[in-house]
Amino acid sequence: MSSRSRFLASALLVGLCLAPLAAAEDPEPPRRNYFVYVCAESDDTVHLLRYGPSGFEELDEITVGSFPTETEGPHGINISPDGRHWFLSIAHGMPFGAVHKYATGTNEWIGDATLGMFPATMDVSPSTGLLYVVNFNLHGDHVPSTISVVETGTMIEVATIDTGVMPHGARMNAKGDRLYSVNMMDDELVEVDAMRFEIARRLYLGTDPHAGHAGMDHGDMGGMRAPVVKPTWATKPSPAGKVYVAGNGDSAIYEVDLEGWEVSRRFDAGPGENPYNLEITSDGGVLVATYKSGKKVGFWDLASGELIAAPETTRRVPHGVVVSDDDRYAIVTLEGVGGEPGTVEVYDVATAQRVSEIDVGKQAGGIIYWKGEP
Amino acid sequence: MKHSNPRTRLLIAFALTFALAPGLALAQEEEADAGPQPAELIVTPAELELEVGDSLTLEAEVRDSDGNVMDRTVVFYSRRRRSVGVNPAGIVEAYRPGEHVLIAMVPKDPEDLHRRAEPAVMLEIPVTIPNPPVATVEVANLPGHLYAGTEIGLRPTVTDISGAVRHDVEVGWSSADPSVASVDALGTLTLVSAGRTTLTVSAEAAASDTAIEVLANPVASITLSGAPDEPVRTGDVVFFEAKVTDASGNAVPDYPVQFATFGIPADGIVAPGAIGQVDDAGAFVAERPGTHTVIVDGFNNSASATIAVVSRNIRKDVEVVGRGPVRDRRTSDLWVWEGTDGRDYAVTGTHSADGHAYFWDVTDPSAISLIDTVRVDARTVNDVKVSEDGKFCVISREGASNRKNGLVILDVSDVANGIEVIARYDDQLSGGVHNVFIAEDHIYALSAGRRYDILNAEDPTNPYRVGRFELDTPGHSIHDVWVADGIAYSSNWNDGIVAVDVGGGGMGGAPNNPVMLGSTPYPSGWNHAAYPYRSQSTGKFLMIGGDEAFPYQTMRAERTPGRAAGWIHIFEWDDWENAREVARYQVPEAGTHNLWVEDDILYIAYYNGGLRVVDISGELRGDLYRQGREIAMFRPFDPETVKPNTPFVWGPQPFKGHIFIADNSSGLWAVKLVDAEPRNLGEPQ
Repeated sequence: MSSRSRFLASALLVGLCLAPLAAAEDPEPPRRNYFVYVCAESDDTVHLLRYGPSGFEELDEITVGSFPTETEGPHGINISPDGRHWFLSIAHGMPFGAVHKYATGTNEWIGDATLGMFPATMDVSPSTGLLYVVNFNLHGDHVPSTISVVETGTMIEVATIDTGVMPHGARMNAKGDRLYSVNMMDDELVEVDAMRFEIARRLYLGTDPHAGHAGMDHGDMGGMRAPVVKPTWATKPSPAGKVYVAGNGDSAIYEVDLEGWEVSRRFDAGPGENPYNLEITSDGGVLVATYKSGKKVGFWDLASGELIAAPETTRRVPHGVVVSDDDRYAIVTLEGVGGEPGTVEVYDVATAQRVSEIDVGKQAGGIIYWKGEP
Repeated sequence: MKHSNPRTRLLIAFALTFALAPGLALAQEEEADAGPQPAELIVTPAELELEVGDSLTLEAEVRDSDGNVMDRTVVFYSRRRRSVGVNPAGIVEAYRPGEHVLIAMVPKDPEDLHRRAEPAVMLEIPVTIPNPPVATVEVANLPGHLYAGTEIGLRPTVTDISGAVRHDVEVGWSSADPSVASVDALGTLTLVSAGRTTLTVSAEAAASDTAIEVLANPVASITLSGAPDEPVRTGDVVFFEAKVTDASGNAVPDYPVQFATFGIPADGIVAPGAIGQVDDAGAFVAERPGTHTVIVDGFNNSASATIAVVSRNIRKDVEVVGRGPVRDRRTSDLWVWEGTDGRDYAVTGTHSADGHAYFWDVTDPSAISLIDTVRVDARTVNDVKVSEDGKFCVISREGASNRKNGLVILDVSDVANGIEVIARYDDQLSGGVHNVFIAEDHIYALSAGRRYDILNAEDPTNPYRVGRFELDTPGHSIHDVWVADGIAYSSNWNDGIVAVDVGGGGMGGAPNNPVMLGSTPYPSGWNHAAYPYRSQSTGKFLMIGGDEAFPYQTMRAERTPGRAAGWIHIFEWDDWENAREVARYQVPEAGTHNLWVEDDILYIAYYNGGLRVVDISGELRGDLYRQGREIAMFRPFDPETVKPNTPFVWGPQPFKGHIFIADNSSGLWAVKLVDAEPRNLGEPQ
């Protein structure tokens, strides 16, 4: 049964409920263990968590960064294609941020590379092992930024790719030759040629009829138009060749057809929801979206384009989301506000029901699924 | 059974992996037989030697295990792209000398969707770019007159054909007539006798000759003046002057002399190390009491003087007067001021917490009371400042939930009746404001770790940006800014302390037109704080720079309570183009944070070293710590905090006879200096 079919069947049981769902025990506890790494951006910690038959628990808390009197901000995290290493972006430096490499399991630090301003989301090409990290540069002065390319064996930045203003989100296609990212303040989705280290295509998502994009001087763009969509995330391509983009500014989710390089559908998430991060199941049947302002997690049936459920989260500011390799669970981070701890919630994708949660360090944000095992 | 090919074996291995570890997150797609796989990558040429500026195209050929040429993408990149570049077409450009490596790789089969980390084939291509040949080499420091019997350490200036000054080239020295002057391999020129000769300096194929004339040594006597009649204290600077005269009693002002010192420490001081120093201008300072001798050496003549040095004897004890404990979260900076109602107040920020700023009544430092708490959407309120008129306060924000950090302005004009937020400002400050300063109705706010924005706050409810200052040096970064007398002094790590005219520098600067005046050198790259100060005792303008560094922090070790490094750098800076670092204050095994100066006394928050109070009166040279200029030290211990008994002093501020300190572990403290109790410290001083 595909994840979409499971979802639709189970959705009957939950009655398409849009009301907040209370935390509950998993009615069908997992037989496997699921491992994720989670960044706590305001505590300079990374947490290794396991959800499985014995519940949801923290296996390790790794202190990251090297300047104890500064909050250095671990933001983005990803796993090498062979699962042996995890990579972590550290947002703040002097002034440049960095990416660090650790061994999975032992969490031993291996090396680092200085990148650009506020390195954030990243992904690794399974074809080359090269790591692509967007330099988010959210410092407010809207200037074009870059995507760094890092050779992960040596942790050397080997290229930078000029992209646009406030790039965020970075996900590879399965072949590892294309990276998808968005330029938040340019209202753009970009497709990066990961072999040539250059932007292959740009897609303007906004509504300004006079806006051009390809070949524009991005140094002038900030003053030319105010961003409307403010995209914050692009998913990996679905098997059907679609990439989904979170419109954080206009509270919508965009489906982009890669073959036609055009927006094929737009899903209105509703006012004040502000989708932030997205993840799709492996068959492309279900999309899970964190609603940053809405304090919800949206579950979308991608065949019909219908929102099936949007359960309320236990804490404010939902941020990251991953889906387990068997598509059974969506695991979501909640930043919290101020001194609140961050929280990680587990949802059953089929029922959109929250089945467990655990508190971690402050401002839980970046999350990556490591593995599942018996 | 046929032998399987490598591809088949790979598939079997994957299948076994699945069977043994079915939970591994491997791709779920069906395997497809993608045919022959790349087995060999041949790049021509296999290694390169290029001159700077040269370009060359690499040819790449991919072959399978049977040697058949394959049509596959080859990815090129450079591991040192600022020295040698390569584009996707394999065109190489040489930028800088050195031994470099280019990479060529063939990505894994695009149809193979399993997770893996490495490319199919990867090749390293060594690239050698030799240094450009030396164009010129010259002697850099020959004085106008050369006198027989003296020595000079020569320095070369080597320039290559690219115009770069080189320090990595072996230099050779020779003299045409060693009976007049000889020169050794280190460039030490020994002037033997009066006469003429030619010096030759060479580097690679370049060389230059310099004709020199050695004059007969005219010196008949050397005298040394400046020795005080009375004993001086450790840390007091004594300026000696050497006078060199010929047989007629005429001065020989350009005659080279060298100063040296030695001494006999006071009884009871054992294994003292060097107990004093004298610089090349004859400025002497003692670190230990005793009998010191200063010598001026004129090669054929010398003179000396003896100085009695006593202990500085300025030590005070520190008495805790009162506390405003903050035990459940970490404290950041503080500011103490006299309110418009005549009472005294302090504000402290919080770090890695939940956005609190605490307001204290400190009118009676023995009875500090918390009078108000302001909480903003932030995790860290790193800095707190109050305007000169005591009417508004600015607190910085980092870690705001909406990632729009900026700063918050509070009305503190009537503290007794409450403190209100009157403005928030985050335009282009969304990445977080680490430090702020208020001067003459303007707010200076750090932005992006790169610059500071200047906001007009004549109406603090409606601040607006009027200016901005940012360096243009590569990788520039900023940590703090302090404004005094219309000049902004920013702390810029590697770029040192930067002075900018914002209205008082005489260069036409203003908040809306900041004009850079100059900067200090800062070789350590650790400049974190700066305090401008005109010495009351000497009238000299001093710039006191503080480091921040954690070199002991490693990514591999388990984390322990913070141990900082770094020290205080004291510059004389009366000429913007020529800041001279004359003295340091360095506590071993601890590191500095914020500082303050008042009445020729330096107050330093020395992190794990606690509060340090240092006498900076008079002329300054050398290491003030070793000279006994430290008046007092205090380490705040509190066993009941988030970091029990872990002093980590963040900021000091002297105020109306007390010293207020913010301790990261335990909150606000008020202390005062009192006469020291007699103590046996093991030896004098």
